[in-house]
Amino acid sequence: MSQPSAETMIEARAVEKWYPNGFQALRGADLTVRRGEVVVIMGPSGSGKSTFIRTFNALEDFQKGSITVDGIALSNDLRNIDAIRREVGMVFQQFNLFPHLSVLENLTLAPVLVRRRPKADVERQARALLERVGIAEQADKFPGQLSGGQQQRVAIARALCMEPRILLFDEPTSALDPEMVREVLEVMQALANDDITMVVVTHEVKFARQVAHRVVLMSEGVVVEEAEPEVFFTNPSHQRTRKFLDQIL
Amino acid sequence: MTTVLRRLRSELFPTRGDGLLSIALLSLLALAGVGFLRWAFFQAQWLVIRANATLFAVGRYPAEQQWRLWLLVGLLAAATGLSWGVLRSHPRRDRTGRLWPRNDRVAVAVLVLAGLWGPWALGLPLHLQARWWGLLALLLLIRWLAGRHGRRLGPRGLRLVALIWPVLYLSGMVLISGGLGLVAVPPSEWGGLLLTLVEASFAILLCFPLGVLLALGRRSDLPLLRWGSVVYIEFIRGAPLITLLFLGQNILGFLLPGGLAPDRVWRAAWVLTFFAAAYLAEAVRAGLAAVPRGQFEAARSLGLSYPQALGKVVLPQAMRVALPAMVGQFISLLQDTTLLSLIGLMELLGTARTVMANPAFLGKNAEVYLTLAVLFWCCCAALGLGSRALERRLDPQTIPSAS
Repeated sequence: MSQPSAETMIEARAVEKWYPNGFQALRGADLTVRRGEVVVIMGPSGSGKSTFIRTFNALEDFQKGSITVDGIALSNDLRNIDAIRREVGMVFQQFNLFPHLSVLENLTLAPVLVRRRPKADVERQARALLERVGIAEQADKFPGQLSGGQQQRVAIARALCMEPRILLFDEPTSALDPEMVREVLEVMQALANDDITMVVVTHEVKFARQVAHRVVLMSEGVVVEEAEPEVFFTNPSHQRTRKFLDQIL
Repeated sequence: MTTVLRRLRSELFPTRGDGLLSIALLSLLALAGVGFLRWAFFQAQWLVIRANATLFAVGRYPAEQQWRLWLLVGLLAAATGLSWGVLRSHPRRDRTGRLWPRNDRVAVAVLVLAGLWGPWALGLPLHLQARWWGLLALLLLIRWLAGRHGRRLGPRGLRLVALIWPVLYLSGMVLISGGLGLVAVPPSEWGGLLLTLVEASFAILLCFPLGVLLALGRRSDLPLLRWGSVVYIEFIRGAPLITLLFLGQNILGFLLPGGLAPDRVWRAAWVLTFFAAAYLAEAVRAGLAAVPRGQFEAARSLGLSYPQALGKVVLPQAMRVALPAMVGQFISLLQDTTLLSLIGLMELLGTARTVMANPAFLGKNAEVYLTLAVLFWCCCAALGLGSRALERRLDPQTIPSAS
């Protein structure tokens, strides 16, 4: 496992978010992620963990606090948001592949449109990425023809094709059949060994133990506990964490 | 043969009761059919159609300028043959493994029969009959050539072939109305099928972008845009087209800049456009609602801008869902053009009314209305077939096939 550097990639301070219906999803959440670090966020459903990482690339807005991503302050300035989204890749629970495009086109769409790179160039890179996630032979199929695990691996390759510095995973294995969870986790583990910064919302304890540098527990919109995996799972300092671990282990 | 008989038996006479019902229905059908055929062949006097064929086709379009319309039909035949052939040379397989286009030999047969029989049945002079047959031959020849050699076209060539259609539409408008060195033929002299098709195609083409914009407006986060779209859509949908057409003749002149709506024909075309756009917007809105929110989020999180996410990810999927409803809208739009006769335009129905008012053809209403019905049916059937083919082709599971 590569060691994170001291450089800060994501800095979230006292983030508060209300939904339009008045529900407060985040109540002053803090998190610092360093470059190359793999942070796993756990917590009961409704604790705001998905909402929290979705604020990192401005898929959700927030009302109070501050978030800085790779040195760019997240504000309502659209130029900042676009700049951040180019640096931050996201993998969704429901894959969200584009069903009307082939697997290869799913990967090449954004680099060609957003980064204005030559198409042939991007296609070469895309095929290499598909090779890396183990589905090179599916490049010309459509997402609907793939299994859930294959689709999620395509989604990871799609995010990587933009060459992001940060990858966000929003419960990447929750929508998968059990036998497909492993193939996706293996791809994520291989990524973690590279230099990329990852923030992963997941319930996969084994993955957290083996891959994460730090595990974070969220509850009711705040970060309750932050610790190295060994400490987090064996000797957490907060009552709330123990209760949560009792429920899932 | 025996299988056919067995199938007939199992479908028409599975039980005694069903058998009796089948016999009753079949004899009713036969009675009606015989009655119709007897009328069509022995009583109906089709002279009213033959004598007024030109009037039904183009209205009072000046005879010495009609070569422009022939040229346009020729270009249309060539473009149709080309596109058809190119599509044939790039067949696709849908999820059940069938080739597309399939059954297009049937389409050729129908086209050939109609093209050979139509001009003859209309009793056209021999040189005009020959001209139609020539056009038909041109279409089929180009279809055959394009079908043989279309495979050599790269993606850029395919785009060029698609580009023929907008170019053809614009040049067709010039050919019809004049300008660029051609003698101007004012819209008041257009009529019949020509006017119907001009009005319908103009409205169909323009209501499409307008409808998409309205649908996006209705889903917008900006209150002004949203409420503006809602008020517009609900106002238009709440008013009968005929009142809007009358209203349009009176007030559109004030609303649009001078050059755009000077003429009654174009005023009516704009009203049709605005009318259809409101209905189309609802079809597109349903399509947009069918695209999961995650699609937009995925596109945005990849760095696509709002217009890029919309144009490359959301709209293509929404359009596929909305296509059947949209084509339904286009078909009713085509039929709604008959209302233009009520504001005094000489489109198909307007022409028919003048013909039936002619003392020489009094009482020939059945022949005229039947002809109109068949003409409209052909246009609508073509729209419907085209849309179903397009739908199948846009299916993400329909993939280019190697053979």
